[in-house]
Amino acid sequence: MLSTVALILAAGVLAVLAVGMGFVLGWANRAFHVRTDPKVEQILAALPGANCGGCGFVGCAEYAAAVATGEADVSLCGPGGAGAAQGLAGIMGVELEESLPYRAMVHCSAHTDERLQRAEYRGEPTCASANLVAGVQGCTYGCLGMGDCERSCKYGAIRVVDGLSTVDYTKCVGCKACERTCPRNIITIVPFKAENMLVVACSNQDSAGDVRAVCAVGCLGCRACTKVAPDLISIEGALPVINYDNYDPTDDLIAKVLEKCPRKRLFFVGKPTEADLAAVAGEELPDEIQADFKTTVDETEWRG
Amino acid sequence: MEILTSLILIFVGAALINNFVLHYFVGICPFLGVSRRVDTAFGMGCAVTFVISISALLNWTVTYFVLRPGAPLPAWVWRSVGGDPGTQVDLSVLSYIIYIFVIASSVQFVEMYVRKFFPPLYRSFGVFLPLITTNCAILFGSLEILKHLQDPTRLWGLHQALALALGGGIGFTLAISLMAGIREELDMCDVPGPLKGAGVALIVAGIMAMAFMGFVGVDKGVQSAVSALLR
Repeated sequence: MLSTVALILAAGVLAVLAVGMGFVLGWANRAFHVRTDPKVEQILAALPGANCGGCGFVGCAEYAAAVATGEADVSLCGPGGAGAAQGLAGIMGVELEESLPYRAMVHCSAHTDERLQRAEYRGEPTCASANLVAGVQGCTYGCLGMGDCERSCKYGAIRVVDGLSTVDYTKCVGCKACERTCPRNIITIVPFKAENMLVVACSNQDSAGDVRAVCAVGCLGCRACTKVAPDLISIEGALPVINYDNYDPTDDLIAKVLEKCPRKRLFFVGKPTEADLAAVAGEELPDEIQADFKTTVDETEWRG
Repeated sequence: MEILTSLILIFVGAALINNFVLHYFVGICPFLGVSRRVDTAFGMGCAVTFVISISALLNWTVTYFVLRPGAPLPAWVWRSVGGDPGTQVDLSVLSYIIYIFVIASSVQFVEMYVRKFFPPLYRSFGVFLPLITTNCAILFGSLEILKHLQDPTRLWGLHQALALALGGGIGFTLAISLMAGIREELDMCDVPGPLKGAGVALIVAGIMAMAFMGFVGVDKGVQSAVSALLR
């Protein structure tokens, strides 16, 4: 008798609770329904999900929400590139304007032995701290070569080679992490309208004599290039600036500019040309060279 | 007066002396998982405090009227089918399943409500709510309340249950915020290789638990202080 009643009571209590809660939740589900835009889900699926923040939003989800409301352009995703932009444009039903892949450009070309007036630096091996110390190297504009950009790159696309940050354009996706991290702001993200882009590989704004004193290769600001191609190249401060709107890599003028430059500080970056590939076809690739810092502390940002 | 003293003692006991995380070792998963940054840890703590209070409210009601030995509802049913008034129907075997059920569905309800009417609040801690529906700290709070409802001579009222829940939640918030603060500093430290990450976090948690053991015995002092204050 007692156990039967207890059994029935137990079953009844559970059943009543289940039905009651089910009813309340079912009602709440309809009463408190929040309309979410199905486009957001679709957009999120079309994005690569790298959460790199290159678009300027906190993550892919925020960017997706901004695209769905029309606040953000569909072509901002660097890692996704043209494919993602195409997908997003399809979902949003907008025409895709010509979308150029963004790639990093390093505006310095001096390797360790070309940078003069260098002093021994025994501090923390990061550019951010070396940049705080005067006299690490003569040039206060150029690459420090401690590899902050290399550590910031999630894609392994930028690497310090002979003390100079060098971009691997087969890996770069234009996420802007290196641009943000470089304490000397010598990396810019440029829309690559051609496979090879002309770059001014110097950031030194000083006069010719001062540049000569600190760098074996830096731009002297001689204006030879802008005399040959005034439409393409203008001078701002002491450095030539390329107007990429007028840029065409097949233009004969560029060959003349390259020839005229006394320091050969204008050159092409991007995909290697066939001639370059043929020149190194027989060579073995060296293993990745690791910098040999004499420290007992390993790969952490803080080395206090 | 006595009630107020007991409430303060229950609160302090749950928050410090018998801290849910550092004394009973419940709710360890969010304590280690969400303690990387102080602001998210604090958000998590607030969400746990909120959910533990809601569940204490609902589960005390269910336990008091239905589940405890000698509860009114089963007693009435038992009498109305003509049973012997000397024996009791005890439904406390159902406590676990009903507590989980009540916690999960009430949290679901609260989540929907907050999402609809307080979107900024939902963005800041709504994401934690689904995570803690089956958190053992919440269930532990309800089971503690059940323990104090099984002895018919010293039944806990709703106010005492809520004091326990609030104390437990605030104790959890305190523990997880302290942990997050320590771990933020730890990121800057040169931790020996094998102990990096989870290893050193667990060591820190252990040391914190030992430090909180220092609160044992404080209850006597709190009791005399409170009664002296209220006299």
